[in-house]
Amino acid sequence: MIELFKDLFEYQFLQNAVAAALLVSVVAGIIGTYITSRRLVFLSGGITHASFGGIGIAYYVGINPVIGAIIFSILSAFGIEALSHRKNIREDSAIGILWAFGMAVGIIFIFLTPGYAPNLLSFLFGSILTVTNSDLLYLLILNIVVILFFIIFYRPILYIAFDQEFARTQKIPVTLMNYILIMFIAIAIVLSIRVVGIILLISLFTIPPATANIFSHHFGKIIFWSILLSFLGSFIGLILSYSINIPSGASIVVVLVLMFGVVKLLFSLYNRIQRKLIMF
Amino acid sequence: MNKILDVVKVTAGYSSDIVLKDINFEVVDNDFIGVIGPNGGGKTTLLKLLLGQIKPFQGQINFYPSSKDETLFGYLSQVSDIDREFPIKVIDIALSGLMSNRGFWGESRKENRKKAFEILTITGVDHLYNRSVKELSGGQLQRVFLSRALISQPRLLILDEPNTFVDNKFEKELYELLKELNKRMAIIMVSHDVGTITSYVKTIACVNRNLHYHRSNKITTEQLAAYDCPIQVITHGKIPHTVLLDHCKEGSV
Ligand SMILES: Nc1ncnc2c1ncn2[C@@H]1O[C@H](COP(=O)(O)OP(=O)(O)OP(=O)(O)O)[C@@H](O)[C@H]1O
Ligand SMILES: [Mg+2]
Repeated sequence: MIELFKDLFEYQFLQNAVAAALLVSVVAGIIGTYITSRRLVFLSGGITHASFGGIGIAYYVGINPVIGAIIFSILSAFGIEALSHRKNIREDSAIGILWAFGMAVGIIFIFLTPGYAPNLLSFLFGSILTVTNSDLLYLLILNIVVILFFIIFYRPILYIAFDQEFARTQKIPVTLMNYILIMFIAIAIVLSIRVVGIILLISLFTIPPATANIFSHHFGKIIFWSILLSFLGSFIGLILSYSINIPSGASIVVVLVLMFGVVKLLFSLYNRIQRKLIMF
Repeated sequence: MNKILDVVKVTAGYSSDIVLKDINFEVVDNDFIGVIGPNGGGKTTLLKLLLGQIKPFQGQINFYPSSKDETLFGYLSQVSDIDREFPIKVIDIALSGLMSNRGFWGESRKENRKKAFEILTITGVDHLYNRSVKELSGGQLQRVFLSRALISQPRLLILDEPNTFVDNKFEKELYELLKELNKRMAIIMVSHDVGTITSYVKTIACVNRNLHYHRSNKITTEQLAAYDCPIQVITHGKIPHTVLLDHCKEGSV
């Protein structure tokens, strides 16, 4: 453990990993609170896996896979948003179709790409220890944009998320707002892939808000606590992964789930004590 | 009297289903219109049409704004598909009614919160201001939604069966409150409680695929039949009412 902190000062890649964990925690805390409050977890899972199609095509064509993933995930997110407003296609079916289709396209194109795709495993399971400076720069820009957007539009975002039908009667550009937010979801997902990978990514967006929601029902406070819990979990997970040499993405997720369990337990204990006090 | 909106020869409905056929209607400042009609007659559809949530197949709806930054609509829907688990507090739901106010961005948060507390006090749920949605009873939630509709002092208040879920005592208070508010705003209210509302509203719109606008709050069973509005007028003992049953001689139509 102490050794890790010594290494932390010495090695650039460890500093990058901690910085990435922090940046991803902030954006995942904000976007994740929105996702879980609006019950868009399944949709986000769809976007995540659809983005794999973009990665596959990007490999095949020979462009930056992150760009491929962003294009693919934004398109699929917009597609889902547009489809779900037509009553003849159920939203969850649309998501399921996209989910499978994206994965299939990705696998086919990677298979067709001549030679070995070296980073494929890191896209599936994440590789926070190989985060580059440009990864960090993208994440930083995304963080600034998302933070500003949520500070300026906090109330409209909250009100639209709670009751779209009413918001539409109040001269608010609900549709535009929904598209902007779903675009943020898509970009945040793709840029976070490096940290935990496609397969485990959704956990980062859902477990911390779900944990905070156990003891808070205030949108803004859930965001705050999610960021905190997310960073704590990522940091502990990172230490574990480094010291006992297990995959970082998986160890972060396990820590986050354990934290969820502990909070749940503590909260029900707290409630029980409160009840006892009231009854006496 | 300034016109707020008019509906001209509008036909509307959902996908292939025509619900309202060739209707004409208008709302003027300080109107108090009771909308009655059988289940599925198209009352909610009419309101959605006015609110712009659905577009007419034919015909048009014109608005006559009095000033650029008025809040046109306050709206209480019949059923809302909100998520009861959503993390939002009562006070914030009330505040969300101020969304379209120009002052929403400029006015201080303190000012808005004060307004929210005032309105929650009127609807009798101020003590619940810090509760989240899932901790409310059906009637309490209805009162919160009513507060949200009222807080902006809209030019036109649209209420779709506001008396659902709430107890008798509050229902009575609500109608008195609306009477008071009507001095400042026009109100359209859907209700099945015809006997009661006719003593509060000024005019009646009977909606059953067609719309018959009855420019009086007195209506007879015969007139209802003539309007093809098959509803029963139940008279309530204690509440003073002006519904005339079987009084053909007084009926003018
Ligand atoms: N979203 C929808 N899609 C398709 N048809 C609809 C939709 N909403 C309502 N309808 C149909 O339109 C007709 C009118 O419905 P509306 O909700 O306007 O009735 P209402 O007069 O408000 O009835 P109630 O007294 O039950 O509230 C009904 O036949 C209903 O089945
Ligand atoms: Mg209705």
